[in-house]
Amino acid sequence: MSEFAAYTVIGLSLGAIFALAALGIVLIYRVTGVLNFAHGAMGMFSTFVAWQVFYGYPHPGMPSWAVTAEAILVGLGFAVVLGLVLELLVFRWVRSRPQVVKAVITIGVLLALQSAASLIWKNNQYHLPIYLAPQTATFRLADVPIGANSVVIVVVALGLAFGLAAFLRWTAFGRAMRAVSDNPTSAALWGVRVDAVGAVSWMLGSLVAAVAGILITPFINFDTTSLTLLIVDSLAAALIGGLVSLPLTVLGGFLLGLLETYPTIWIQSLGFPRLIALIVILAVLIIRSPKGLPGAAR
Amino acid sequence: MMPGHIVRFAIAIVAFAVLARLPVGLDGAFQFDAALALVWAFGILSLVLLTGYAGQVSLCQATFAGVGAYGAGMTVAGLHGGYLLGIVVGVLFAMVLGVLVGLPALRLHGITLAIVTLGIALVFDKYVFQDHIFDWFTGGTGGWQVTGASILAISVDSSKHLLAAYDILLALFCITAVLMVNLHQSGAGRRFRAIRDSEVAASTMGVNLTRYKLLAFALSAGMAGLGGSFYPLIAGSVSPQPFWVFTSLQLAAIGVLMGVRYVPAAALGGLFMAVVPDVLTRYGHGVFMGRLYEISYDWFQLAVGVLLVLQLILLPDGVWGDIRGRAARIRDLVRGGANKQVRPA
Repeated sequence: MSEFAAYTVIGLSLGAIFALAALGIVLIYRVTGVLNFAHGAMGMFSTFVAWQVFYGYPHPGMPSWAVTAEAILVGLGFAVVLGLVLELLVFRWVRSRPQVVKAVITIGVLLALQSAASLIWKNNQYHLPIYLAPQTATFRLADVPIGANSVVIVVVALGLAFGLAAFLRWTAFGRAMRAVSDNPTSAALWGVRVDAVGAVSWMLGSLVAAVAGILITPFINFDTTSLTLLIVDSLAAALIGGLVSLPLTVLGGFLLGLLETYPTIWIQSLGFPRLIALIVILAVLIIRSPKGLPGAAR
Repeated sequence: MMPGHIVRFAIAIVAFAVLARLPVGLDGAFQFDAALALVWAFGILSLVLLTGYAGQVSLCQATFAGVGAYGAGMTVAGLHGGYLLGIVVGVLFAMVLGVLVGLPALRLHGITLAIVTLGIALVFDKYVFQDHIFDWFTGGTGGWQVTGASILAISVDSSKHLLAAYDILLALFCITAVLMVNLHQSGAGRRFRAIRDSEVAASTMGVNLTRYKLLAFALSAGMAGLGGSFYPLIAGSVSPQPFWVFTSLQLAAIGVLMGVRYVPAAALGGLFMAVVPDVLTRYGHGVFMGRLYEISYDWFQLAVGVLLVLQLILLPDGVWGDIRGRAARIRDLVRGGANKQVRPA
């Protein structure tokens, strides 16, 4: 029983990562109509920037929390700039193109980012994570040890999801983003600055991807490809939310995390969770109406 | 239509004669590149059929090639069959997988199909090609070793008779390429293109969507598998690395980059994908302006990514499509502006 509970904790932390990564995908897709296959790669690159700040050079005289804060701030700052640059240089120019073309462009971005990171940080596996909470800190809940880092991840995922949802619902800029998401042309006619909305969506999406990437480092041996390929699990979670609903996406992330974790009690296989993600993707797509996803016609 | 057929046939024969002679004097590594270029050219040609003709997105063409390679390796090294049988088994396995992938595609298109095929590429890369459950198919950790193979009593093993394998694969590619051009004008090709332009309109006009979508996936996967089934012959062994998910993404990227609607773009893309990284890594090191530099394989993928983004913004029809367009404009200029006519795409 306690084994089952321990796996539940692992699954929920993994699910929180999927949920975080999927949130950025949903945000960018809803507002700009781009299904971003490079989302994992963007998060990966920002994560490595943070990692470089953390481990790359000595921080004499700085307390460890300050080093962590510095690394995370630099990583997140880089993510915002990366999102803005991609919007300005690439996606602003293809706004009226078919959806598939925009998706293929993100594959180009994926390939470029992954190989650029691999040139800088080589194809090594890294296992020196950035801990937000001390590694040894654990809670005990009904005899089940829960790592503090797992708690941090789940709290951050839920917080960001509700924060984003509230931002979209109650702020003026959030309303502008939803207007663009419904109909860019009429939003522009009503005086919404579509360019600014697109830029902010990309910056926010990239930021959320970086948060997911940095938070996952305590849980896996990471390298440039594994974080890039996290995109498949994130897409599965995003599909559960129908690529539009933020709460359902978070729920989907947790569900997928648990579904991928429980079988590892019996099946020791590195590749098996990928099969589960594929089955979830197929199940969601086949059960949904054949008309496909909202906004898919754009 | 007869003259067109004859011209295409003549071009294919001349292309075969020239290309078969081309790698003869080169060193072994370049001969390997030439053969590998054909494997990837088949991969991109399969994308021309599936995406260029039938409008179906796929991010798992290298998986089809990999299944072809492992099918051939299993038959030859695992079951001690002849290599010809190995190729047949490899192609059949790939076609079966193609139909299986085509089944969800009956309800999906566009980005959702891209997600599913990417998932399939990842599952085969990390699970099927690497997990011990599938050792009967993948030959375990070391993969299959293929030595001393022959096709119809012609020795084609990689160590001594690499060029024989290259010639056979080249002949197959030339034949397939001509068949692909012919297919474009045939009844099936017209139905594929109708599905590409609008599935609703195509089904209204009486195109059997189920049959032709599955046909496109089966033919495309078979084509990629045919190229892949020669891989064990060329490389001497099979391993998961050449067919991992990034190869699938590169195939899609290079196919689109070169012009996914055009058959010659497949040859161009295969050559690009096999030769450029090898030349870069082999000669791309030394001293430039007092600084030591070394070009690794990652530079190639970086270039592919950047070129793909630039191409989709600037040349939507791909490199070959752009060349065709320019050639057509020059022809019009030479003929004079008097008889301007709208040219069908």
